[in-house]
Amino acid sequence: MKKSVFSFALAGVFILGVASEAASLQAELIMPGGRSWKGLVVSRDGDWVEFSTGATKPIRVGADTIEELVFEVNIDQEKINEMNRNREYERIIAALDSALEPYAEYSDIPSNLVKYNSILMELHYKTKNYDKALEIAQKIAMDERDPELQDQSRVYQALSLIDAGRSEAAEELLAEFGWDQDLSDDSSPQKLYIAAKLMVLKERYADAMELVAKVVAFNSQDPEWMQPAELLCAEVYTELGMYDSAEEVIREISLLYKNTNEDDLAQQLKIRIEELRAEKELIESTESEEV
Amino acid sequence: MKFLCRSYGHAFKATLLAVAFSTGIAVAQDYSSLGITDLVSSADRMLQRRDFDGAIPALVEIINRTGSLTDPQGRDTAQTCRFQLARAYYQIGNTAAGVEILDDYLANEPRKKERMALRMMAQGFFDTQEWEKIEEISTRLLTFPDLSREDIYNANLLLGQACFRLEKWAEAVEPLGYAARNTKDPRVEGLCQIMIVRALVEAESWRELFGWIPQIYRTDSKYDISLNLTLMKAGKAQFEADEFLNALLLYRMVLPREELLAFADERLNDLNVKLDADLKRGIAEAEIEERRSEITDIEASKTTLEELPPYEDEVTFRIGQIYAEVKRYWEGYVLFDKLYQTDRNSEIGEASMLQSVLVLYDIEQIDRAEERILLYLAEKPDGQYARTLLSMMMRDNLVRQNFSSVVELRPHVEMLPATQDEDELSLQADLHFMLAFGYLQSKDYKSAGEQFGVLINNFKTSSHLADAVYYRGMSFMLQAKYADALEDFLKYQAENEFGEHIAASLFREGVCQYGLEDIDAAQAAFTSFIEKYPDDALTSEAYSMRGDIEASKEATTEDPYTLDRALADYRKGIDKATSPLQSAYAAFQAAKVYKLEFKWQEIIDLMNYYMDRWEEEANVAEAVFWIGQAQIELGQVGDAVTAYLNAIERFGNDPFQQGVDKIILELVKVANTHLSTEDREGLVIKLKLKLTNIDLRYEVLRLRLQVAEAMLQGDDIAAAFGAELLEADTDLKLTTPASLSLMCDAAVDIGNQEEMQRLYNYFIENYEDSDLLWHAYRAITYFHLAEKNYDGVLASIDEAQGLFGAEPFMGWAQIFKADTEYKMNNFTEAEDSYNMVMGVAEWRGPLFAEAMFGMGNCRLAVGDLEAAHSFYQRVYLLFKSYADGDWAAKGYLAAADVLIKMGDDEGAINTLKAMLEDEYTNTNPLAEQVRIQLKKYGGQ
Repeated sequence: MKKSVFSFALAGVFILGVASEAASLQAELIMPGGRSWKGLVVSRDGDWVEFSTGATKPIRVGADTIEELVFEVNIDQEKINEMNRNREYERIIAALDSALEPYAEYSDIPSNLVKYNSILMELHYKTKNYDKALEIAQKIAMDERDPELQDQSRVYQALSLIDAGRSEAAEELLAEFGWDQDLSDDSSPQKLYIAAKLMVLKERYADAMELVAKVVAFNSQDPEWMQPAELLCAEVYTELGMYDSAEEVIREISLLYKNTNEDDLAQQLKIRIEELRAEKELIESTESEEV
Repeated sequence: MKFLCRSYGHAFKATLLAVAFSTGIAVAQDYSSLGITDLVSSADRMLQRRDFDGAIPALVEIINRTGSLTDPQGRDTAQTCRFQLARAYYQIGNTAAGVEILDDYLANEPRKKERMALRMMAQGFFDTQEWEKIEEISTRLLTFPDLSREDIYNANLLLGQACFRLEKWAEAVEPLGYAARNTKDPRVEGLCQIMIVRALVEAESWRELFGWIPQIYRTDSKYDISLNLTLMKAGKAQFEADEFLNALLLYRMVLPREELLAFADERLNDLNVKLDADLKRGIAEAEIEERRSEITDIEASKTTLEELPPYEDEVTFRIGQIYAEVKRYWEGYVLFDKLYQTDRNSEIGEASMLQSVLVLYDIEQIDRAEERILLYLAEKPDGQYARTLLSMMMRDNLVRQNFSSVVELRPHVEMLPATQDEDELSLQADLHFMLAFGYLQSKDYKSAGEQFGVLINNFKTSSHLADAVYYRGMSFMLQAKYADALEDFLKYQAENEFGEHIAASLFREGVCQYGLEDIDAAQAAFTSFIEKYPDDALTSEAYSMRGDIEASKEATTEDPYTLDRALADYRKGIDKATSPLQSAYAAFQAAKVYKLEFKWQEIIDLMNYYMDRWEEEANVAEAVFWIGQAQIELGQVGDAVTAYLNAIERFGNDPFQQGVDKIILELVKVANTHLSTEDREGLVIKLKLKLTNIDLRYEVLRLRLQVAEAMLQGDDIAAAFGAELLEADTDLKLTTPASLSLMCDAAVDIGNQEEMQRLYNYFIENYEDSDLLWHAYRAITYFHLAEKNYDGVLASIDEAQGLFGAEPFMGWAQIFKADTEYKMNNFTEAEDSYNMVMGVAEWRGPLFAEAMFGMGNCRLAVGDLEAAHSFYQRVYLLFKSYADGDWAAKGYLAAADVLIKMGDDEGAINTLKAMLEDEYTNTNPLAEQVRIQLKKYGGQ
């Protein structure tokens, strides 16, 4: 199946109810002071949004005066979750992109679509499209309605910069967030994890190891950060040449996090360790022959 | 743990009996007189009115009448009534009677309501907690095809609970898992998960258990106290069984007590509030009982938890231990560190500190480990782990050969309080032993001997005692205290027949006897050693030592073959050598003996034999040097020069092949003494050509060839080249003794103190065995002199003389020594030192004049004018020609000055006149000064 066709079909699976005409979108318009109207978002004209309640002629509202647009989008969240579990990230991205396309011209207005954008942010990061993840994360970070989501977007901004190899920008960002300070045992796992990733980028592996070890040691009941932290542990142990340690972590990952992204990456790492071991043995045997 | 199934308290929908029977009216309570149809009608009516008490006698009567019927309709009627009777009993709360009737129902045919009957039975047994029956019934229920989702769910829920109650752990997991996945009630989901975890723990199904962990930790089930206690208990068991990964994952799931209690309080509060509200609203008794039971369970588990001693630190410590055990060192470290930082003074805090240090060593974070140890020792010099930590730090430094760091720990060892504890004593002995080794390796043999002595005298039961005796012997031997050393080596042999050092101690016995100049005893010891230990690592050295003894003996008529025996021993020394160094010693010593006997061809043969034996490991450059020397003696100068050039080219790029530098010097010597000017120039051209063609990467070789070229062109060009190297700030890594010696001399010539010190340090550090090292000593002596550090001057001279004695090139050292003593006003010592110069024939020349003049100065300084005059007089009489008459001129002037001091002006004038008449001094620059002086006296 060609990807575009498949994506289209998938969008159909996801979206249980979308406005039949792309130009008119069912939504609730919320203005400052709590005033709200249910109706149709008819069109966008530069800084203006035309909104119709059905009874009268559409009204024109300044886009920057709108507090929130609550679109009636029935995306099958269960289906997304299932596909996420199956790690079908590209397919979810394609489907969500397609599903959100009609709303694109309203993306500058605060809306309930932010939760889908946060999914896209995470998925773009997972598929290593760091620029895109960063772009979405920066947009979410400006939306102050949901502090938790804002925090999450900051995490993905930092991770995207680090994984894209942009250490200076990442360092500046961490300083801006104050995440480069007080990296103690009690610091939040995400702060420690991100700092550890930055250390890896800077090839300061011992520092990275200490930070990520704190995530694992002091947050073992945190299901969100333990998985990536354990993988990072295995990676850093490998960089430190501590292959036995890395393999022990991999063993644990495959025991605890079977059929996850981390497990897949851990298995790849295991193969790399075998290669590194073989290389090391070869070098040692060559050296001993030379001696 | 007990909880409900979805059908609990559920009012079954009435199934009308009318389906099977025509309607009728019951008019009386005495059913015996009623016909069956009326009976049925009556029962049906009462059931519809939910008058279950009233329906029961009617139903009983119907069953009594129809129970024995065998025709299909009669049996059907009896079964339908049994089912309804059971249902009626359930409704009035007489579950036991209902279960009994259902039992009959299930034993008869037809069973149109079999599934419902089974569910009801299970429910009945659930109330009476008859788990085996529930297991049986729910298992049976699950065998039915086409069950509704609710039936499947209920049957699994019942079966899971029954198995759990019956401690059939493995069997409980699957049905409970089904129930957890399919319930819509989060409370049921949580309870199922908790039971699953417990069942998996009890069944030791670890892999499956760990698959559940991420799920559980996304829910509040993780706060269940009984679950946490179970995990802790299982973690401990697994830890004790060395199942570290299992233990780790179990322990990691345990939450801190405060968190559990807080959650339990919150939950109790919620339950109580809800119960109070529902009681006001009115809820079923069974529900009330169930809620109260849940509250009681939580309160009981809370009490259990509160009664437990604090477990968090212990669990954290265990987790740390496991991480370290499975080589996840960093995770272990941060946990131990946290425990230590939280409370440094508690037992677990201190133990964590120890563990953290162990881990830091494992991950090679040595600086941090040491910093931590030193901090601990500063805070708790008598702490319970002080000895252990000191021992770790010392051992690590010994292994890494940081001997100075080992000995620096001595103050900490000395601050340890006395102990009677056997383990502590053993550790203390270890510390002294390691400290002693640190000193031994730092070449502070005196302190090493003292520390070995501490162990020997105070720790009689130490496992290191025998070793300490041997090594103290070594310490004495290396201080040349041969008598003390011998005593220890003999003691070791006497007390350790099978000791590790038994062979070595016999060998060292021979060395000590040799040092004590008891040559016969030494030879006997070496002979004994060779016989007893023909294949020991020291056998080669024993042969060499015995060879040295034989070689040092005078050949006599009675014993003319001493050198032959020496040579035989040296050859054995080569054969038995286990290292190139041992072999080289024997080979080159043998070469010296051959040289004494003018056996040049034998030297060539021996060197070839040695090189064949050790091939690439041989000191080829030195061997070539000897071959060249022999060839020159045999008149094969051309061959020798070619061999030298080849050796320089072949080995010259390795800075540590010091034989190459030796060959360069020898080549220069041979060129100066055996080659014509033309041939010498030809040799220089050859070197230039080699320099032109050399690979640019061979920087060390290039520098060596340049040094050789410069030296071949004379001392002035060599000196200028040394100055050039200095000026060019040459990378010292490229230098070797030949170039370094030129640079040292250049630094002295231009008075560059910084370079004197830098070159000396580099020379000493890299080529301490070099024959040219005296240039470095000369440089550092000049450095101290410039600094007016007279003690430094004497110390460096002392060292230099210790290494090079009175070699021809060492005259400067003796003169400097005397000059320095003079400057320190130690005139007697100074005069003695000057006098010693005169005792070395090789120093004859200007040094003699300088020494004689110095002796005059000494006498002058103490006012012994006559003697002073006599020395000055000898200078100009005996050493006229030296240094273009400089010393003679100085002698004349000094003698005249002394005569003036003695009041003999005439004598002084005559002396000065004599100087002007002396052909060695009358053109000396000082003569002009004398002429002016004499004019003043009017004598000329």
